[in-house]
Amino acid sequence: MSTEFELSRNITIGQYLPTNSVVHRLDPRFKLAAFVIMILAIAICSTYVGNLFALAVCIGMFWVSKIPLHYGLSGVKPAIPFIIILATLQLLFYGEIARGGTIYFQYGFITISSESVRLVLVSAMRFVEVIFLSSVLTLSTSTTELTHGMERLLGPLQKVKFPVHAFALIITIAIRFVPTFAMEMEKMMKAQASRGADFGTGEWWRIIRRTKDMLPIIIPLFNVALARAEDLILAMEARCYMPGASRTQYTHYKATGKDYSALIISIMISVIMLYIPW
Amino acid sequence: MTSPIVDVADLSHVYMQGTPLAHRALDRVSIQVERGECIAIIGHTGSGKSTLIQHLNGLMRPQSGKVVVNGLDVSDPKVDIRLLRRQVGLVFQNPEDQLFEKLVGDDIAYGPFKMGLPIAEVKERVEWAMELVGLSFDEMKDRPTFALSGGQKRKVALAGVLALRPHVLVLDEPTAGLDPRSRNELLQRILRLNQEEGLTVIFVSHNMEEVARLAQRVYVMANGQIACEGTPRRIFGNSSLLQEHHIGTPEAVDILYQLREQGYAVDTGSFLPEEAAAEILNLIKR
Repeated sequence: MSTEFELSRNITIGQYLPTNSVVHRLDPRFKLAAFVIMILAIAICSTYVGNLFALAVCIGMFWVSKIPLHYGLSGVKPAIPFIIILATLQLLFYGEIARGGTIYFQYGFITISSESVRLVLVSAMRFVEVIFLSSVLTLSTSTTELTHGMERLLGPLQKVKFPVHAFALIITIAIRFVPTFAMEMEKMMKAQASRGADFGTGEWWRIIRRTKDMLPIIIPLFNVALARAEDLILAMEARCYMPGASRTQYTHYKATGKDYSALIISIMISVIMLYIPW
Repeated sequence: MTSPIVDVADLSHVYMQGTPLAHRALDRVSIQVERGECIAIIGHTGSGKSTLIQHLNGLMRPQSGKVVVNGLDVSDPKVDIRLLRRQVGLVFQNPEDQLFEKLVGDDIAYGPFKMGLPIAEVKERVEWAMELVGLSFDEMKDRPTFALSGGQKRKVALAGVLALRPHVLVLDEPTAGLDPRSRNELLQRILRLNQEEGLTVIFVSHNMEEVARLAQRVYVMANGQIACEGTPRRIFGNSSLLQEHHIGTPEAVDILYQLREQGYAVDTGSFLPEEAAAEILNLIKR
């Protein structure tokens, strides 16, 4: 039970697990594109079997990328309350809209039909699938690769004056600093706890008190964040960074047959998901 | 002999246990600190010093082994953790980052207020703590914290911990990043806390001058283990040991070692500048 303050461990975003599997070695542009296609397919697919198939594929992805499944599960755990709240709301209020199939239960405005049950179960499954997929993506791709891939994929948007590079830079910086601030916050919590602060011990309904308890962390954290931002600006300017200047690329990606086949496989999986009729 | 105020026995800690990134930070570490002692913990970055001191006030609980501080068993899940944290004042690295109140006095009063003390006693403690670190109560208590210099901020942070009236003061690199004058003054203050207030002091440091000046005993950590333990005289007098663990020596000791290499008969066990000077004077007179 030494995990009271170990925040950085619980943050899976930006966590990279180098196992050097096939998935890890894919070209990030193709990996990202395949990921987007699969997410779209999951968002559209609304059949039981289609989603079960997608779930199986997602679990298979962990195996292929040699990442222990509990990494994915630990991402699902904090989402469980949301899934439950979502499911309850859908079950109670979606009956009228998703009318159809056999009606199991009706009372006042509450209608529970086979269609609304399907909606509830499918949404919960989608939730888990999306978490699994994004876990595999972030665990198998370093943040630099990820932003490079994104920058290249968005490249064509530059023609319509979309600031692709600035956008990619913002995302890089944001992701880069998540673990830093998690560590900073962990340190701050420990420092204040050493001075007698306690967090999360008040009853949950006393929101004002609990918020006040957080002030000794939030205020110094803002200070540190601003100081770091200034340091970063100086460091970038010292290396002659100019916003909007034309830049060459340090890394060049070259797609191989593996990358094309990954894309094709993801398209095939999506087509299968969408064509399963039940 | 009374029992030690800090008793760490066979303490081990593994970060990220059960993942491929698991990292053993502490490996069967044992240290004993007697009441009123001043102890230095030295060692390379990543040798486990910070992990060790975080166990002393229960920020981390032992995964295996035992930590007993002033009769409180940190591994006991039912131990009164707030009482423990009042007994062991832990001052982190760069503690000036943790100030959050607008005024100096309010920030120092945060801990005592959290203890639920009446306002008169809080005031008295703030005054006491500020005098101990060398800040005038009347002059400084209503100053805004953001307008202080780095050294003053650090004193305020130290006072914020002292206001809890701990029996044991644990400091993680107390003088890192301070200018020489503030550094000297802070060291004086810590020494006085130890000698006059009878506070047990445990500090982590990379600065060997500091260790030579303050510590009665030194623990050397390497790879999560206690590599050796002893008086500064013993530790700094053993050059092969120092080299093995990549520990620097105080400048005074450096000079003596160099003299000895040149063939002069000097006692390399002297580690304070004054002692080294006396050794060199002896050489000249001879």
